[in-house]
Amino acid sequence: MLKLQDLTKAYRTDEVETVALNNVNIEIETGEFVAIMGPSGCGKSTLLNIIGMLDTPSSGHYFFKDEDVAGYSESQLGVIRKQHIGFIFQSFNLIDELTVAENIELALLYHDIPAAERRERVAAVMDKVGIAHRAKHMPSQLSGGQQQRVAVARAVVGNQSMILADEPTGNLDTAHGQEVMEMLQKLNEEGTTIVMVTHSPSHADYARRTINLLDGHVVTESMRSKI
Amino acid sequence: MLLNNYLISAWRNIFKHKLFSAINIFGLAIGLAACILIALFVRDELSYDKFWSKADQIYRTHITFSVPGRDPMGMVMTPGPVIHAFKKDFPQIEYASRIARLKPTIIINNQYFVDDISLVDEDFINIFDLEPVTGDLSTALKSLSNIALTEKLAKKYFGTDNAIGKVITIDFDSYKRDYKVAAVIKDMAKNSQVNADALVAIDEPAWKDQDWMFDAWFSTNSHLFFSLNKGSDIKSINSSMPEFIDRNFPKLPFGGSGTKTSDFVYMNAMNIKDLHLKAKGDGEYHEIGDMNTVIIFSTVAILILIIAAINFMNLSTARASSRAKEVSLRKVLGASRKDLIIQFLGESILITALGMIMAIVLVEFALPLYNEILGKNLSIDYASTDLVYVTCLAIFVGLLGGSYPAFILSHFRPSETLKANKSAESNASIKLRSILVIVQFAVSITLFVSTAVVYGQMLYAKNMDLGYDKENILAVKEVYRDIVLKKLPLLVDEIRRMPNAISVTWSNFMPESGNNNNTLVRTGDQAMEDAILIGNREIGYDYFKTYKVPLIAGREYRIERGDKEILTDDLRKGLKYTGSIIVNESALRRLGLGSAENAIGKMVFISKGNPGENLEATYEVIGVVPDIHFDSLKTTIRPEIYDLSPSYGSVISARFSGSSVAFTEQVRKLWEQEIPSIPFNYDFISAAVAKQYNAEQGQATMFAAFSCLAILVACLGLYGLASYTAERRTKEIGIRKVMGASVFDVVKLLIWQFSKPVLIANLIAWPVSFFTMTLWLESFVYRIEGFFILGFCLLAAITALIIAWSTVAGNSMRVARANPIKALRYE
Repeated sequence: MLKLQDLTKAYRTDEVETVALNNVNIEIETGEFVAIMGPSGCGKSTLLNIIGMLDTPSSGHYFFKDEDVAGYSESQLGVIRKQHIGFIFQSFNLIDELTVAENIELALLYHDIPAAERRERVAAVMDKVGIAHRAKHMPSQLSGGQQQRVAVARAVVGNQSMILADEPTGNLDTAHGQEVMEMLQKLNEEGTTIVMVTHSPSHADYARRTINLLDGHVVTESMRSKI
Repeated sequence: MLLNNYLISAWRNIFKHKLFSAINIFGLAIGLAACILIALFVRDELSYDKFWSKADQIYRTHITFSVPGRDPMGMVMTPGPVIHAFKKDFPQIEYASRIARLKPTIIINNQYFVDDISLVDEDFINIFDLEPVTGDLSTALKSLSNIALTEKLAKKYFGTDNAIGKVITIDFDSYKRDYKVAAVIKDMAKNSQVNADALVAIDEPAWKDQDWMFDAWFSTNSHLFFSLNKGSDIKSINSSMPEFIDRNFPKLPFGGSGTKTSDFVYMNAMNIKDLHLKAKGDGEYHEIGDMNTVIIFSTVAILILIIAAINFMNLSTARASSRAKEVSLRKVLGASRKDLIIQFLGESILITALGMIMAIVLVEFALPLYNEILGKNLSIDYASTDLVYVTCLAIFVGLLGGSYPAFILSHFRPSETLKANKSAESNASIKLRSILVIVQFAVSITLFVSTAVVYGQMLYAKNMDLGYDKENILAVKEVYRDIVLKKLPLLVDEIRRMPNAISVTWSNFMPESGNNNNTLVRTGDQAMEDAILIGNREIGYDYFKTYKVPLIAGREYRIERGDKEILTDDLRKGLKYTGSIIVNESALRRLGLGSAENAIGKMVFISKGNPGENLEATYEVIGVVPDIHFDSLKTTIRPEIYDLSPSYGSVISARFSGSSVAFTEQVRKLWEQEIPSIPFNYDFISAAVAKQYNAEQGQATMFAAFSCLAILVACLGLYGLASYTAERRTKEIGIRKVMGASVFDVVKLLIWQFSKPVLIANLIAWPVSFFTMTLWLESFVYRIEGFFILGFCLLAAITALIIAWSTVAGNSMRVARANPIKALRYE
């Protein structure tokens, strides 16, 4: 699915250069479920943003489906991103002024999909995540778990092959956290590649592989043995 | 010190949010400056003649002649004999005086001047409290050979205020007399319809051979002012005016036996304080104002102020969320809601005060130009109560714009705003803001359309085909004076001989100066009492050739054809001969003379002399001209006859080719050689025509300028609002971008958000402007079509959208380009 080669990301301010990622080499196969762990400030989110093409590396290569996208422009990245990648955020990031259905539809709005088909797909995905009865509600009327389910639905409604989740359970209580994790697991079983940043070792256990980052380096990679 | 803390907080807030503060202060400054300028204009317009100590008791009479088949002829003057009948019939009248303003030749030590001299009755000084400087004003008008001068004229003539006892010779044409300066008075106020520079008593017998001046019942040449006894009511006079007219005026020679004079003549007295804005009719000595203009400009001022205050409110509430934390902290530390309201209101007033200071600077810069456009001399008098008014205005606007934000800001609950950095804004305040933006744009668009209509109408009037060619005609004035008339043939001949002269003529009127001479005319088929009142102009030879008016039929007066003028004195002596007459198409129709070709050679009878003399002269129609707009376009063209006047005129008109300067200099040289005693006074017909639109042009320019300011202020507000909205929607835009929205998608989204209120504003503004401007246009006889307003509406809509888009676009691009992860990481 993707391969990062000697990837470096440095932020420059006027005087200081901060290296967020240093010489990172990671390969992720199609259909994998990978968790990225590490203490705050280790570069997890930067890594996820680069994988999600929301940010570009300072040097190195990023092969996405064998295509080196490291030097692509923002609009080129945008085209690949909207076809292949779905996002889930810790703070859900739903638009307050739109209903549940409209929030989900947003992911289809910028693809050339006819309105009727959009409605069908939104309905189908809402059934799948179990929020169809909340279709007309506003995000503020939902619980955190329900909001995150909407976010998940939005991430997959466009048939994205990869989902990037940035601490998807960070704002949720244990029960709701578990619910979301199970949903991700189910999606993974259906063939979606999932890359997830998390602080929670128990949630990392849902992944087949865990990458530990420290100060911008990959320190360990561990495969989960029990299946 | 709490106050200190508030001030520091306010001051730092102003500096921290530079864009917000700049927009607010600048927008307010423009709004307040516009308001002050308009207020100065309105105050001046409303101040006319209010300062007389008897202002409540002073009235002026107006007269309207309503003749069947003609537009009513309203005059603000009154026939000369009315004053005597008034004093006899109305004991309520305390004092009465006529005032007739003439421009005689004034001779002092062999120096010649032409100035306004006002002929008044003795009681003039009892009605109006003039301020004497030297001499004895109370007796100045008792002698028929005394004159009272204003300081201005005393200085001009004698170089000193102390002109008492000096002698001035005045040549009124009717008579020439030496006047002794008996009093010098202070210059009269400019904001007055009475304003006069020099006063002499009316000597009625001296005007006997020009009896229309003071002794004709159907000729108006002077204003009639009177003061009422205390406790008397003007209604008692106005309501008995018809009986007064029937008792005193001679019976009119038309209308038949069943009619009374009061059926055709209407008189009414108006209080002096109302004259400037409400008097309607011909014959003012000073330019008048118009109540509608005052109302329109006052409305514009209020609208601009509202727009500026709305900006203030919108920007403050939009920014409220960013101040929620400060509010909450203050509350946690013990501030009550009242404290916070005081703080925020104080802040508003501080910002308004800064705006006001800037506004005053703007006003001072704008005043010279403004005064030039309006032809006034307005200024802020800092030593007077003006400063108090200005301060009150600032506080008022500060409270108006600041109260709602203060209420919103002080409402935040610390528990909510401190916990999560949630958008603290309620839907209601967002909705209110959109409504206010709609109001702003509806007002701006209405102003835009109105300006376009006003300008369109002005251009239409200016470019309308007048029926004659006004270009390249030099008009030589002052011809009516006896000394000039003696040399009229010589002057015309000499000018005609100049190499660049094409054609030369003369007339008793200047195009566009207004002519109210009328004569009874009938055909052989009509009885004498069925005679029709028709406008009467007197012209010389070659008139229509000079003005390039093609005749529809017949010919114009030619010296070699022996065309004759009929003298009234000849009629009185019983001499009978046939004269020649030229009529316009309207007269042709009114008289029922048939087609233009058929009319040639027909006879008409024109009454001469005074009513009651029953003198009629016989004329043969020799020419028919089209209807020509010699008068203002505000009136319809009347039926007219053009009578030959070989030896009298007030203006010589000369069509020339080549340089106007060179030609004018040639004519000036001739004038100065032939008539050294009277200064050469000339105009170009094209300039004179343009001049009648000066007031309208000035007001239209002013209207346009204020409309632009209103739109500018509204746009400033929109810009500020767009930047805050973009900020508020950063998260949403980030999400949309992550979902695949392109920069263009986002810009489109934001622009549409701001297009919606503009479009709704159009829906409100269109009917409003269409209705009001259609109403406005109805006051013009010749006006642009209604569908032009629709065109202007469309233009306004497109302009408003373009302005709104360009205002919003810059911000939208910036936000749309930003990297979404920054927006989403906010948490």
